Amino acid sequence: MPGKNILEMRGITIEFPGVKALDGVDFSLREGEIHSLLGENGAGKSTLIKCINGVNRKDSGTILLDGHEINPSGPNEAMTLGISTVFQEVNLCPNLSVAENIFVGRQPMKRGQIDWSEINRRAEELMSRFHLDIDVTRPLSYYSTAVQQMTAIARAVDVQAKILILDEPTSSLDENEVQLLFSVMRQLRDSGMGIIFITHFLDQIYAVSDRMTILRNGHLVGTYNIDELGKFELVTKMVGKDMDVIFSLKRANVPPDAPVMLKAEHIGDGSRIDDMSLTLRKGELVGFAGLLGSGRTETAEMLFGATRAVHGEIFVDGEKVSIRTPFDAIQAEEAFCPEDRKRDGIIGDLSIRENIMLAVQSRKGFMHPMTKQEQTELADKYIALLGIATPDCEKKAGELSGGNQQKVILARWMAASPKVLILDEPTRGIDIGAKAEIQRLMLEMCGEGVSVIFISSELDEIIRCSNRIVIMRDRAKVAEVDGASCTQQDILRIIAEGAA
Amino acid sequence: MKNRQTLLTRITNPKYIMVYATIGIFLVIYAAGGFLYGDKGFLTVRTFVNLFIDNAYFGISAVGMTMVLITGGIDLSVGAVASLTGMFIAYGTTVLHLHPLTCIAAALVMGVGLGLLMGWVIHYLNVPAFITTLTGMFLARGVCSLISRESIDIHHPMIDALAGWKIYLMKFADGKWVRIRPIAFVNFNVLLFLVMIIIGAFILQRTRFGRNIYAIGGNEQSASLMGLPVGRTKVLVYGFNGLCSVLAGISYALYVKSGWNLSLQGGELEVITCAVIGGTLLTGGVGYMIGTLFGVLLKSVIPALITFNGNLLSWWGKIATGLLLLLFICIQRFVVTSTGRRKGQ
Amino acid sequence: MAGKRFDIAGLMQSKVTWAVIAEALILLVCFMIRPDFFSISYQPSTGMLYGSLIDIVNRSAEITIISMGMTLVIALGGTDLSVGALVAVAGAIALKFLRWDVLTYTTPGDYTVYPYILVIAVPLVVCALMGLFNGFLVAKGGIQPIIATLILMVCGRGVAQILTDGKQFTTGYSPFRVIGQGSFLCLPMPIIITVIVVVAVALFTRRTAFGAFVESVGVNPSASRLSGIKAGSVILLVFMITGLLSGIAGLIYSSRIMSNDSNNAGLNFEMDAILAVVIGGTNMAGGKFSLAGTVVGSLIIRTIVTFVYYFGIVAEATMAFKALIIAVVIVLQSEPVRKYFARRAAMKGGVRA
Repeated sequence: MPGKNILEMRGITIEFPGVKALDGVDFSLREGEIHSLLGENGAGKSTLIKCINGVNRKDSGTILLDGHEINPSGPNEAMTLGISTVFQEVNLCPNLSVAENIFVGRQPMKRGQIDWSEINRRAEELMSRFHLDIDVTRPLSYYSTAVQQMTAIARAVDVQAKILILDEPTSSLDENEVQLLFSVMRQLRDSGMGIIFITHFLDQIYAVSDRMTILRNGHLVGTYNIDELGKFELVTKMVGKDMDVIFSLKRANVPPDAPVMLKAEHIGDGSRIDDMSLTLRKGELVGFAGLLGSGRTETAEMLFGATRAVHGEIFVDGEKVSIRTPFDAIQAEEAFCPEDRKRDGIIGDLSIRENIMLAVQSRKGFMHPMTKQEQTELADKYIALLGIATPDCEKKAGELSGGNQQKVILARWMAASPKVLILDEPTRGIDIGAKAEIQRLMLEMCGEGVSVIFISSELDEIIRCSNRIVIMRDRAKVAEVDGASCTQQDILRIIAEGAA
Repeated sequence: MKNRQTLLTRITNPKYIMVYATIGIFLVIYAAGGFLYGDKGFLTVRTFVNLFIDNAYFGISAVGMTMVLITGGIDLSVGAVASLTGMFIAYGTTVLHLHPLTCIAAALVMGVGLGLLMGWVIHYLNVPAFITTLTGMFLARGVCSLISRESIDIHHPMIDALAGWKIYLMKFADGKWVRIRPIAFVNFNVLLFLVMIIIGAFILQRTRFGRNIYAIGGNEQSASLMGLPVGRTKVLVYGFNGLCSVLAGISYALYVKSGWNLSLQGGELEVITCAVIGGTLLTGGVGYMIGTLFGVLLKSVIPALITFNGNLLSWWGKIATGLLLLLFICIQRFVVTSTGRRKGQ
Repeated sequence: MAGKRFDIAGLMQSKVTWAVIAEALILLVCFMIRPDFFSISYQPSTGMLYGSLIDIVNRSAEITIISMGMTLVIALGGTDLSVGALVAVAGAIALKFLRWDVLTYTTPGDYTVYPYILVIAVPLVVCALMGLFNGFLVAKGGIQPIIATLILMVCGRGVAQILTDGKQFTTGYSPFRVIGQGSFLCLPMPIIITVIVVVAVALFTRRTAFGAFVESVGVNPSASRLSGIKAGSVILLVFMITGLLSGIAGLIYSSRIMSNDSNNAGLNFEMDAILAVVIGGTNMAGGKFSLAGTVVGSLIIRTIVTFVYYFGIVAEATMAFKALIIAVVIVLQSEPVRKYFARRAAMKGGVRA
């Protein structure tokens, strides 16, 4: 029995200089439902929620909350109206305690003073509702991202929210944490709250939502019940074009006697990874599968010298190399796209040109500079090759969309023409079209003889692209399977149960 | 698994480590002083109280500075504003024959006004705090020199009375209260310092305004997304710091009974040093008034030790303070990394 | 594509533009008050050129030299508070080597106790090492630059005082006098040294990829490291350069007064240098830097002082005027104001196109 609409948006239009970010979009949210908002990057999801919580002003259209028109001027006003938002990056204060993060700005007062015992008592109560039995007086930074995320939700819930907006809350959570979040979401839904949920993970949408609304290029594609639309149709509607590109990808062809390009023997960093061995042939793509924290990233970081391997040996192209810093790895012709694009990849305030030339330049050393013309030529070449959407190479890299930033980082490493390319979650948080293109580029590089290590949380893309798949569990390699013959079920079983 | 709060977890809460470190190191140095110069009277109440008397003006200013630092800002103007306050009082009473209260009122308007203005420029014009308050410092210093380039003595009954007012510390002996020997007393400056510490601690721990200060220092963007009044809080913090600078200036004027355009040069750094060795992080978000109190004591015990030694150049004090800073920065560094690591669990 | 049209909006957005405009305005006012402001005369007896402009450049030498290093530090996202103290240290060491015999012979003469090369080299090496110490705390200790350099700022002057037993030495050694008071090609020596330093730093940063590495580390140290830049070495080098340049400035300063003054040498130099960099358009948060802008910034600061002298105002009060003018420049450069002007320029430009 569907509840009544608590939020109705009609004909919402928002214009930014030069673009219509939203064009006459209708949206409604019912009491007691989880409503997923879907679309590629730039489709207008964030703009729509920022319109609801008052960060962006709409140019036309109406927003009705419980039948009354509202015009929130900022997150603060939206909150008093009962609309709470949990943003993608946890927007809390790491130095304050968990309890205080929930109540700061509206602390209960007693005789003109903040009533700390009340705050801590109520915070404990709230957190235990989410099955988190923690010391709420410890600073937030003491706890994992999942707990921080829950704290943000607890804050949002405690303001008597009618509407809760969750913008990509799951992108940094592991599977158990996601399940915990989902149970909280269901609990809130059953108490009558309307939840708007944004995620890039299609499986999660099917696992938790009741309805979904799809946006494309600022237009509404449609609103559907969850059982109305299959995954394939959903993706087609989001992308708006044939998904043949994705499904026609051909994995690299590696002759069995291809030379070994990278060999790691019993490497360990002394704390997180103990003993890891690996071989990678020329032109081969090896996928790393496993849960978050299973040791995939740690292994990659060690191979690249981002963390130092305290024991074990690494050979590149048959030669033993000593890799203590990323600089050494680059000299050995390795390349590494890190997991956290914003923190470790893109250099936002510098131009695309400078971002692309960086790895080449650092390999040459600063005493052998490239001229500006050489840099521009290099950048222009890769902008064209990778289809980076920008007017010219002098635009700041930080101003690009996520997918284009990822292409810039890829270009940085392609320009360095590495023998071994390590990609840690290169497709996370970018839209499906760009994802397909990055997968295509990856396979093209394999075709040119580059050996690739590909880390991803999405099993289907690993299976689609990999020649071999290394499965990691509890910070160790538990199995290696053939990419062409294994299925998702096989891998999931190994991840869940250990060695095959 | 129960992981609730107990008395033990409350005390061992990692956020207090820096305060414990400050208190601990102060006690160690104080004890060392007692061991070396106990025979010269280092351990007497008088020496201890003198630490307060000689540094009260730094302490008063450090109260405001601690708040500014917790927001993640900095205020370089405090020394100059305090100096200008002294000049207001000296020039006003001695040359213009105004009542000291008039001068103090004018200084309050000047100090708080300048603080609010700087806060406004920092927040709304988005100019770095370092640059804004540096300009404020130049301005205050310059105005000071415009008023007078000579040191002016202060002679006014009210000032004399206030400066001379003291409470002798007593003890109960032989059935009556007698002054302790050697004579030790607390004056107006010391009381003002302690009162400001208590007010500061109350604001920081017990008011929403105070908690907003911490939130802003933790993550300003988050604070504004949480709906906290970021702009207003920041402007008011700089205003409050202006108030503290003026009070520090008054206290300094009472201490030296004169006004001079070059007094308290570099005072801002002494004050910042007090706060930092008191456990306040210059990156913002962390700091306690009790830490600042001991930071002031810790910083003032060093010159006291050098005086007791008698042979050392006073410059060794600067070097010792520098080494102390180094020590504290290393401890802070260690604490930050070790609590950061827990995050992974 | 409109091609390379004269980009007014972009120019209005640039902080350097505002710095140049400010400097031009101040000079213009000086000229209006004193028509002979721009005149430069040749004095055959000393073989030097004289004039207000020469004087401004000459007197700004120390700050300009230090702020070359400071620009790089700020581009890394830091600040170096210790430069003023290092100026005092350099002076103290130089005078110590010149007048090791100060207890025996109290009157200064035209001689040096230790070889001149030591008088020059030891202060520079010590300052470079102190810079290296700052860099070490920042790069290896992961300490915020402002705190790391606070240490030497607090105890640097103490070191300088203890080196000279808290006394002020004077010297009459003429080769030492040349550094601060001599001339070359009719110009005061400090100007020549400044030009050499500015050109050297500019060549070093812009003719190699070092400048780009500094900017990259300043914006995102972690990403820079993973791109193969040895971020730690870059930081060490930048702080060492800044220390070395402070040493050079210290030698110039003490040569001007032929003495060491551990209390006042380099006092507030860190503030002036940071100000010069920021007025010159380099963002305190790090990233892109402009050496030319910094030179303009340093000249602005000195021009203001000269300007105030012309009004016949006492030396100590120049600070107030300095503050007022700097406040105007900073407000004009602030983000909201620049955006406002850029928007207006863009609107006008749009109408014309």
